[in-house]
Amino acid sequence: MTETLSRIDFRRNTQNVPPPIRAATIKNTRTAVLKRAEAVQHLGVEYWERLRQAGHEIRLHALTHLDQYLPMLESKVIAAGGNVHWANDAADARRIVLEIAQRHRAQRIVKVKSMLSEEIELNDALRDAGLTALETDLGEYIVQLDGSRPSHPTNPSLHYTKEYIADLFQRKLGVDAPPDPAALTEIARVKLREEFLRADMGISGGNFLIAETGTLVLVTNEGNGRMCTTLPPVHVAVVGIEKVIPDWNSLTVLLQLLARSTTGQQMSSYTTFITGTRDRGPREFHLVLLDNGRTRILQDARARETLLCIRCGACANICPVFQQVGGHAYGAVYSGPIGAILSAQLLGVQTAGDLAFASSLCGACVETCPVQVPFTELLLHLRHRAVEGDRFEPPVAPAVVRAGARAGTIAFAWSWLYEFGTQILRFAQAPLKRGEWLPSLPPPANRWTLARQFPKFGAEFRAWWRKRGARGEKRDA
Amino acid sequence: MDSARDTILNRVSGALRDVARQPLPILPDEPRVSGDSTARVAATLAAIDYVSGKTRRVKNKVELQNALAELVSAERVKKALVWENRELRELGIAEMLSQLDVEIVSPSEDKRALALCDLGVTSTDAVLPQTGTLALRTTPEQAEIVSLLPRVHLAIFRPTDLRADLRETLMQIKDRAHAVLITGPSRTADIEKTLALGVHGPKEFYAWSFEGE
Repeated sequence: MTETLSRIDFRRNTQNVPPPIRAATIKNTRTAVLKRAEAVQHLGVEYWERLRQAGHEIRLHALTHLDQYLPMLESKVIAAGGNVHWANDAADARRIVLEIAQRHRAQRIVKVKSMLSEEIELNDALRDAGLTALETDLGEYIVQLDGSRPSHPTNPSLHYTKEYIADLFQRKLGVDAPPDPAALTEIARVKLREEFLRADMGISGGNFLIAETGTLVLVTNEGNGRMCTTLPPVHVAVVGIEKVIPDWNSLTVLLQLLARSTTGQQMSSYTTFITGTRDRGPREFHLVLLDNGRTRILQDARARETLLCIRCGACANICPVFQQVGGHAYGAVYSGPIGAILSAQLLGVQTAGDLAFASSLCGACVETCPVQVPFTELLLHLRHRAVEGDRFEPPVAPAVVRAGARAGTIAFAWSWLYEFGTQILRFAQAPLKRGEWLPSLPPPANRWTLARQFPKFGAEFRAWWRKRGARGEKRDA
Repeated sequence: MDSARDTILNRVSGALRDVARQPLPILPDEPRVSGDSTARVAATLAAIDYVSGKTRRVKNKVELQNALAELVSAERVKKALVWENRELRELGIAEMLSQLDVEIVSPSEDKRALALCDLGVTSTDAVLPQTGTLALRTTPEQAEIVSLLPRVHLAIFRPTDLRADLRETLMQIKDRAHAVLITGPSRTADIEKTLALGVHGPKEFYAWSFEGE
């Protein structure tokens, strides 16, 4: 929790990105963008757009009927022999998982990659309680070995080169590791195979929860998800309440969207369905349903669509800001465009308001998102919250910025006032003007002129526009 | 009984009090593979080849025996797990493997013993031709570890397992569902987005269509 309490300074973070991380992020995101584009092309763009529209409507339906689907899901899981727990916040969730582990005297825990587990800082809590929690997704295993954090929602080790990983394996595992992805993968396979067989408990997140039958859906490629949910005697899944979907028909649309958006595959290698307990599987199945700020997002009619997200990571790959700075610059668990809007709400603008500005509003994420999350609208909404405050949070922007924003609102509302202002600036700039330029401006505008000159205020456009109209040329109303 | 439950559900209801309830959409029709059974089996095998599976058409039991002999020798199979369901019993898979000097291990053995097996043989409950996806239900006769722990997984499907689209495929497994959809071998691209096969699940994935009696 220590990290999340101090204010995230995105601008400063972007200045401290090590060049190798930037290079790896640019290279790996570009590959991901190309693979996704190929998969969409293969399926047909027209059908893809219809899928996205359906995906959006399904997710919005699920969110606006959560009050019905959550109790339905709960009763179906219990009927199938599973246990359901509800967690208000991260501390609740950690306590529930720890209690289950302690009841079973579990010492060794194997984990399936889960962003939500990062959100609630579950690994730290398990370690503090003296338990061993091992990440088993290859990327997450690498990140854990390095004592680092995932830099991307679906590709945690995106920021590493193979040379770095080889060196890491040599240092931490004491094995001879060549910088070759296949050889490094084999090393991890051998190391982790033994852990799967020894583990007392498996912990996963979840991609979807099907209310109709109480089924947990896990979409994976490596097989570690299947190992963690099949071999240990206890399986605990910690999932956000927004992951509920109505039925299996809805799932067909979301499955067609997910893998193509994430990795450019038509289908992931493994899609696992778990409904309560089963023969020759774990004796106990626990589902922990986590709120941790999600119901607050649900209350905000303008921000609610943040929760449509299915965590594919495509928005991060396509984002020109993410590509340049990498996931760690966001200073929060969730990075990229989804991280910007989600963290600013989960952590509050007091802590993460900066992230609402961590975007150029180019809209590439909006066009890429498989469930049409309206990122740019949400970013603007959260910028407004950070600068002026709303019924959810007080403003965090400095008074001078707020005054400036308010002055701007007034000036843009009346054209005569705007025109008057431009005329004033034309005279007010006189002492600072050097030819066509203003080489220096007083604070806070000097933050611009420290780096480059500002063009002079000409106030010529309106005059030019009027003259153009007087010449009788076509003019839009 | 659970105060967190009531708190969360109350907050959800409160948040949705005045909300416009979005109806469920009519789903777009999925693209389908056209043609007769032979063409659709061919499309399935091509899709599995595309994701690095090893495919083969088997016309009868004699061909099946020969194909198994080739697989056992190529993959140096000593021990195997076989689903104990009716489909594989009728094909006589366990007997064929025994004749090839392969030891058949029961899926109810200790998991450490199972982890030493080289080959796992399953049938399928449904097959989606478009993506080469196999649906395998987990039941007492169809243990999940058979398609998970061994180094090599062989799935034998019949043309009648083919379904028109993902919706029909999922219909086949949704009833009290413990199941897995398998598309190709275990894979990762976590290191520099470079594909590597065989992370934790099977390294080699064989899918054969059996078109005999």
